[in-house]
Amino acid sequence: MNLASEDTPPPVSVLGFGAVTALGRDLPSLAALLGKPPTTPLDSPLRIKDELLGDARGGRALRRAGRFSRMAVLAAMDAWNAAGATHQDVAMDRVGVIVATGLGPHERTFKFLDGILECGDNSASPTDFSHSVHNAAAAYITETLGWRGRSCTMTDFAVGFEQAVLLAQVWLAEGACDRVVVGAVEELGTVLLHLLPRMLAGVSISPAVVPGEGACFLAVGPCSLAGLAHLSATARPDPTDLLVMDEPALPSHESQEASPPIRTRQAVTFSPYFGHMATSSTFQTLGSLLCLCTGQVLGKQVCSPHGVRWVETRDPTASVDSVRIYKRSSLSEPLSLLLTRPGM
Amino acid sequence: MNRSTVWITGVGAVSAAGVDVASTLKGFAQGLRHPRTTLPFASNIQCPTFQAPADLPCPAPWDHPSRTFQLAGLAVREALADAGLTGFAQGVRVGVCLGTTVASQLNSLPFYAAYRRMGEPDLQPVYDFLSVNLSQAVAERLNLHGPRMTVVNACSSGTDALGIAASWIRAGLCECAIAGGADELNQVPLAGFWSLGVMSTQPCAPFDGNRCGLNLGEGAGVVILESARYAQVRGKRPTIELAGFGAASDAHHLTAPHPQGRGLRSAIQVALTQANIMPSQVGFVNAHGTATMDNDRVEGTVLASIFGDRLPFLSTKGYTGHTLGAAGGLEAVFTILGLREQWIPASAGFSTPASDIPIAPVRQTTPVHGECALSTSLAFGGNNAAVLFRRWA
Repeated sequence: MNLASEDTPPPVSVLGFGAVTALGRDLPSLAALLGKPPTTPLDSPLRIKDELLGDARGGRALRRAGRFSRMAVLAAMDAWNAAGATHQDVAMDRVGVIVATGLGPHERTFKFLDGILECGDNSASPTDFSHSVHNAAAAYITETLGWRGRSCTMTDFAVGFEQAVLLAQVWLAEGACDRVVVGAVEELGTVLLHLLPRMLAGVSISPAVVPGEGACFLAVGPCSLAGLAHLSATARPDPTDLLVMDEPALPSHESQEASPPIRTRQAVTFSPYFGHMATSSTFQTLGSLLCLCTGQVLGKQVCSPHGVRWVETRDPTASVDSVRIYKRSSLSEPLSLLLTRPGM
Repeated sequence: MNRSTVWITGVGAVSAAGVDVASTLKGFAQGLRHPRTTLPFASNIQCPTFQAPADLPCPAPWDHPSRTFQLAGLAVREALADAGLTGFAQGVRVGVCLGTTVASQLNSLPFYAAYRRMGEPDLQPVYDFLSVNLSQAVAERLNLHGPRMTVVNACSSGTDALGIAASWIRAGLCECAIAGGADELNQVPLAGFWSLGVMSTQPCAPFDGNRCGLNLGEGAGVVILESARYAQVRGKRPTIELAGFGAASDAHHLTAPHPQGRGLRSAIQVALTQANIMPSQVGFVNAHGTATMDNDRVEGTVLASIFGDRLPFLSTKGYTGHTLGAAGGLEAVFTILGLREQWIPASAGFSTPASDIPIAPVRQTTPVHGECALSTSLAFGGNNAAVLFRRWA
């Protein structure tokens, strides 16, 4: 009896998306910038400008929120609003939220540790403590937007967003939710920035990595709904028109030939625009969605990535109807994201 | 029972209540609890805590500086042995879904103090942290191929992890899953809960009229879930099913539960609906029961409104303390044991009925009547989760 599971939940339909990035929050402007070469020097971290994090719609509820939660709330709010017409009749207790993060709100954690070290462990700030937990962002999202369905915050240093998308597929397929807002958030605090060059050297990651921060969320529904694209997390090696990948952040021991090889017509990366982070697949997905929406190949061309087999033509003018977002995992089984134009 | 049935085939637990399931049951039967007045680190906070033994036996591959990982490893090892699983055949997909709070945060005080002092601290604590994302580390140690997720939903993480793992199996993403939670006693959450003013300086008294807060604890609780197909192929005849799971958000406040328990009520009702059972079929509830004023009032009120005032229920936090990300995993194990052994222990710490809670927990070892049992979790962030188990004869 073959016990290798063959079932996979159906893809989800992307109904809207929103993002808070170092390049801004306005999607048309983002698309325009992604059509040009990246301009950020390699030694310049991609941090979010503070003025981008103020939004009257967040209101009183966000007054104590840190950068981590603010970025998440604004991106989730934008995603929901972008898909507004498609979920007018959805009950709030049928809306789920999934937040992926690598390092969580570490800046607030360090602030809480400051309080312990300066005032003693019996006199630290309760506000800093409550905002240092990883699910603070999800709490702000659900409170601000009134969503009362399932909520899951998860942490992973490699394939967090991929696993989050897979969970969204499962929740929608089993009928636990009618909509899921799924995304990721990372912050780049001063402690991390200071230590990052030494940290990266210690884990064999290229020092050329540009660290980044931001949040990106997608409002998704069942694939029976008309949307911008179908999205799934998959290990299947189907060829795609476009390959989007992290580059050049791979640890040296993982820069091996992918098995089986990935087949595509062309490859790009959005890492130089948004920066590298644990859940950077979210931002590769953002760039990919903008490719599908604009009908253009955006991002920085990757000429000869390891483990990629070119198929058909590398004609840059050919239409892009399918995109694979690929991030090598420390596990031997590659899990990547597949975006396809509906009807393809 | 059908293809979508998710069986429980193994459990493992380590906490102040016992280093394994057998010793935990023995302590429960005797109503013993072991709060400690000394902490494993220097602190200005004087309060009881519930600690697992200081020196945990952690042979490879479970050796790691992280005590949370050590605790998780002990529970995983026991659960796999209980399930009769010494390895997995080629091609079998096994998921790992574990909850935690402490292991997800870069919160080493010595490391951060060194950073503040000299700017260039030894980075080993950072590497230790990066190497022990709980589910990733367990999957790698056991060479497992399947979905994995480290859930960080604060105090409901363990319960949510079980629900997610069950969904994976029903969706066909894996045939088997290791699910639960683990957390160590750590100075940072100790300081945090102290700052919130919700900790008791006495051994905790869940649902008691004189309750005055929680005690922190540590531990790990792990459950092995299997598809009906995989259990059948292995020749297993399991009797406990994960029959239902529900989760809902309060959308109310970062740290306080909704005053009417809106999210908890919804989570319980979804779990009952998924299991297709009536509240009257629930033999007992293992409640979250932290012994804080708000949690116990809200939870007791919701349980009474759904199950009536004759419901047998308890909180096991009187034996373990509040183990945060481990709580849902441990309490799931205790709930399964209650169904399996057909008795539940006295709700430790309870003596005086509370005027603000319409029901009271069991005061003595109590036989279980009914084939189903529920375990509930409430958490920071307004997360609520309920997992329902069913015993088949």
